[in-house]
Amino acid sequence: MIMPILEVEHICKSFHQTEVLKDITFSLEKGQAVSIIGSSGSGKTTLLRCLNFLETPDQGIIRVNSETLFDANDPSTRIESAIRKKRLHFGLVFQSFHLFPQYTALENTMLATELLAKERPDYKAKKKDIHEEIRAQAEALLAQMGLENRMDNYPHQLSGGQCQRVAIARALALKPDILCFDEPTSALDPELTGEVLRVIRNLADGNTTMVIVTHEMAFARDVANHIIFMDDGVIVEQGAPSQIFGHPAEERTRQFLKGYMGTGHF
Amino acid sequence: MGQISEQLPIVVESLNIGFLQTLKLFFVTLTGSFPLGLVIAFGSMSRFRPLSYLTKLIVWIIRGTPLMIQLLIIYYFPGLVLHNPIWGSGEAGRFLAASVSFIFNYACYFSEIYRGGIQSVPIGQEEAGLVLGMTKPQIFFKITLLQMIKRIVPPMSNEIITLVKDTSLARIIALQEIIWAGQAFMKGSHGISGAIWPLFFTAVYYLIFNGILTMLLGRLEKKLDYFR
Repeated sequence: MIMPILEVEHICKSFHQTEVLKDITFSLEKGQAVSIIGSSGSGKTTLLRCLNFLETPDQGIIRVNSETLFDANDPSTRIESAIRKKRLHFGLVFQSFHLFPQYTALENTMLATELLAKERPDYKAKKKDIHEEIRAQAEALLAQMGLENRMDNYPHQLSGGQCQRVAIARALALKPDILCFDEPTSALDPELTGEVLRVIRNLADGNTTMVIVTHEMAFARDVANHIIFMDDGVIVEQGAPSQIFGHPAEERTRQFLKGYMGTGHF
Repeated sequence: MGQISEQLPIVVESLNIGFLQTLKLFFVTLTGSFPLGLVIAFGSMSRFRPLSYLTKLIVWIIRGTPLMIQLLIIYYFPGLVLHNPIWGSGEAGRFLAASVSFIFNYACYFSEIYRGGIQSVPIGQEEAGLVLGMTKPQIFFKITLLQMIKRIVPPMSNEIITLVKDTSLARIIALQEIIWAGQAFMKGSHGISGAIWPLFFTAVYYLIFNGILTMLLGRLEKKLDYFR
């Protein structure tokens, strides 16, 4: 039995009177990719935002490597100053990139790592070495994303697909345990989705632990080890891709997948 | 005209001294009100309601009353009403009182421009910073600030140019800035009296200085064009 890297238990979240997440429970093993599918408004994005502490769940527990990062019933896990460190277990790639426009691709990738390095006790003494190390790491990541010739470009000089690949490099630079994607190709022109999906596929092949919210069904089926289908704030069904896409047990899953047939997304 | 050309060197020398005081007030006001405006902007955006209401009340009072009245109250109220002349006597006291009035007044206007600039930066920028483990101050200084500055350069340029001319209001408490210096030639100064043209001539100083400022601010705007 492999210990799961991520355990999410009974997460509930409401905005005012609207229940967006109702008792969400799932787990993820190290090196695996889970894909969350479901129609818009089913709560997928809110779930990712809860994992990244951009929203605070009303109920539930989030554990990473058996460490309880969040427990709605334990106020000590909700202290604002501690949340910052907990966020570093997760990376998040946004639908619309949110690159920092005043920084080049390379600077975007280096910024957070450099700010964190300043907290190291040996920062003052080894400033130059640390900076070089961070720079080399960022350059390697951008090269891995196929952007070796774009490092000094500003976001407005890059295509959407290139921007999203910079955003992926930026998230990877902090070496998160779990990398989350929130519909990474939904803001892209159709001809640019391929390059981003290829990069994510490579990460999956390299055993990066990932949670991917996506509308690209064919991609989800190929890349994910596990599929979660959400509807109206609940997990309707979860299982291996072959099971969910081949023999869905629930009527709601069948109806949802039927909607994608022949749209080119499947 | 012959008379004017004889008077010109004397007048220019006197106006230069006055304009130096104008410039001093201008730069002191900017130096004080740039950061103070930011503090007021954060106050009015605070989620702690009493603080945000108090800040908005102050901004309402300062923006809702003439700067000239504020100058008069700040300069004369402590001495004449409280019998505690905190500003001290002479030109130094007047300059101090004028600086305080101008800094507060302009900080309130700047705060509203800052607030608009900060709120126009998409929330996704802050969220991206948060998920990258940045602290709130890091997010403000490393991400939001420059994007805010880029957006507020045009409205700030307006205010800065207005400030150059507003410094003339300090004449009301007899600060010896350029209007005061020009006016002095009407009553009599440096052997010249009954001359109105030196007062008119002060406009040239404002015009040239504002021309230089417009050029510099335009350059700053261009410089920030490297990102969108």
